[in-house]
Amino acid sequence: MSGAVVMPARRRVAWGKRAGLVIGGVIVGAVLLVAILAPWITPHDPFVQNLDNRLSVPFWMEGAKPGHLLGTDGLGRDYLSRLIYGARISMLIGLLTVVTSGLIGTTLGVLGGFFGGKVDDAVLFAITCRLAIPVVLVALAVVGLLGSSLTLVILVLGLLLWDRFAVVARSTTMQVRNLDYVSAAWAAGLSTPAILLKEILPNIASHLAVVATLEMALAILLEAALSFLGLGVPPPLPSWGLMIAEGKDYMFFSPWVIFIPGVALFILVFGINLLGDGLRDLLGAGDTR
Amino acid sequence: MSTATTMVRPQETAATPAIEVRNLRRTFRIKGGLLGKDREVVAVDDVSFSVPTGGVLGVVGESGCGKSTLARVILNLLPPTSGEVLVEGRRLSALDRRARARLIQPIFQDPFSSLNPRRRIKDIVAMPLVAQGNIPARQVNDRVAEMLTRVGLSAEQGERFPAQLSGGQRQRVAIARALVLRPRIVICDEPTSALDVSVQAQILNLLAELRRELNLTYLFISHNLAVVEHVASEVAVMYLGRIVERAEADALFRAPRHPYTRALLASVLTPEPGLGVPDVGLGDTLPDPANIPPGCRFHPRCPVAEPRCAVQVPQAVATTDGAAECLLLEGAAQP
Repeated sequence: MSGAVVMPARRRVAWGKRAGLVIGGVIVGAVLLVAILAPWITPHDPFVQNLDNRLSVPFWMEGAKPGHLLGTDGLGRDYLSRLIYGARISMLIGLLTVVTSGLIGTTLGVLGGFFGGKVDDAVLFAITCRLAIPVVLVALAVVGLLGSSLTLVILVLGLLLWDRFAVVARSTTMQVRNLDYVSAAWAAGLSTPAILLKEILPNIASHLAVVATLEMALAILLEAALSFLGLGVPPPLPSWGLMIAEGKDYMFFSPWVIFIPGVALFILVFGINLLGDGLRDLLGAGDTR
Repeated sequence: MSTATTMVRPQETAATPAIEVRNLRRTFRIKGGLLGKDREVVAVDDVSFSVPTGGVLGVVGESGCGKSTLARVILNLLPPTSGEVLVEGRRLSALDRRARARLIQPIFQDPFSSLNPRRRIKDIVAMPLVAQGNIPARQVNDRVAEMLTRVGLSAEQGERFPAQLSGGQRQRVAIARALVLRPRIVICDEPTSALDVSVQAQILNLLAELRRELNLTYLFISHNLAVVEHVASEVAVMYLGRIVERAEADALFRAPRHPYTRALLASVLTPEPGLGVPDVGLGDTLPDPANIPPGCRFHPRCPVAEPRCAVQVPQAVATTDGAAECLLLEGAAQP
């Protein structure tokens, strides 16, 4: 009797987990595909201005012009094309930042967690120092000194967002280090680098994958914030954050110029987080030994 | 099977034991917190023994007596605080990791944590060969296949991951990994305690067969006296980090000399349910290795302790076929 009540509920939870993973994967995959295919699928050049056709409205409003599905911005550039090229910048920044910060954080965390003692003290000190650094202020200083560029944004974010990787890599390495299979690898005569790469790293990778999704979402949001402040990607590059910044002058009469990139940003970050949650559930369940 | 093990090494003579442990000691420092003092825990205290080639030394004792620490120190997984381990006359601490791996290998208790869950069985078994760095890939594959067959696993099972095997099969994998380099000594740290009773006998028989075939020497650590009686040629009884009695297996089980050994033997459950749990007169408290009693370390729990036991530290007394550390044995007044 009670089983009949419990069973469907249990099934719904399992489906919900997988649904998150699938929806997140589809969103991120679609944005990635659009970003890669940008030059071939954009209807217009995202940089070409047309001052006769400024602030043309998107398709769902009265007076929309054919050929400009999402209208045009304050300089008459096609908004859909800019949005698509903006996806390129967001994905590029997200992925490169995660690769850079993942390498730094994982290396530091694994070394600290594995060797302990003085090495671990040094890693903990580095993490503490990093947490005391305000990302936006550093970006402000760096841009002030060197001028804004895409490379600079990736470098600043990549070199600053490694703390969570380090914390997670460190604590999971500490757990794995004491397991018997690591002892067996020592006794088998494996070298320390081989133990780190073949025995430890594959067993903490699932945790790091979840951190990577969180960091990617964070990096994309930070880029948007920095660009909004004028510290990120320099115009005329079409970053979503920059599009919002440029649109804020027109927001009272043409709210869609802010609304469209805002929604795009929300959907992408939402998708990445769904993917991360799904990944965590999936890999966490597979971890039971 | 290969008979590579019959090869006589230069250092290996009739007089050289397969493994010799000299005055091994390992202490741990426990932080006392913000205000407390650091405490020192003596996990292994001045342990010495030797095992002849082909012998099996069983090491028994309660939880926390230092059995597993002893195993890890002998394997050099934990560096000893003092003392040394010699395998066939060579000091283990002076050897590099590859040479050490060729001499001594472990088999751990829990086959669920001793195999890397992300690697295939054949890669796990190949690991010690690959770590040597100079064995051609084809030879590695051949030796892995041979070893898997020898422990009773199929080539198809070699392609699987540990999670797809049962506990007994996993322990066979651990045995294959330990023996694929043809080591001289195998440290078995409770190799059957995590297994179902029905599987334990299979694993013990496999270990015994392989020992005869490959002329191996075992250090067999267990809290299961029945298992030790079955496999060991000699037995060492550990209490709070020291070997308090050591004798040939038959003699120890027939005529235990140390009061602690007697209590251990008396604590074995009988298959008769009506008899209940035996009362061995040791009290309810477990000994604390951070706070070792003065005099004889066993005296607070000893059922036959005398006042002098709390003061005088017992020295090892030779018995008919071993040694025991008990004051009451001196002069042989009391059995």
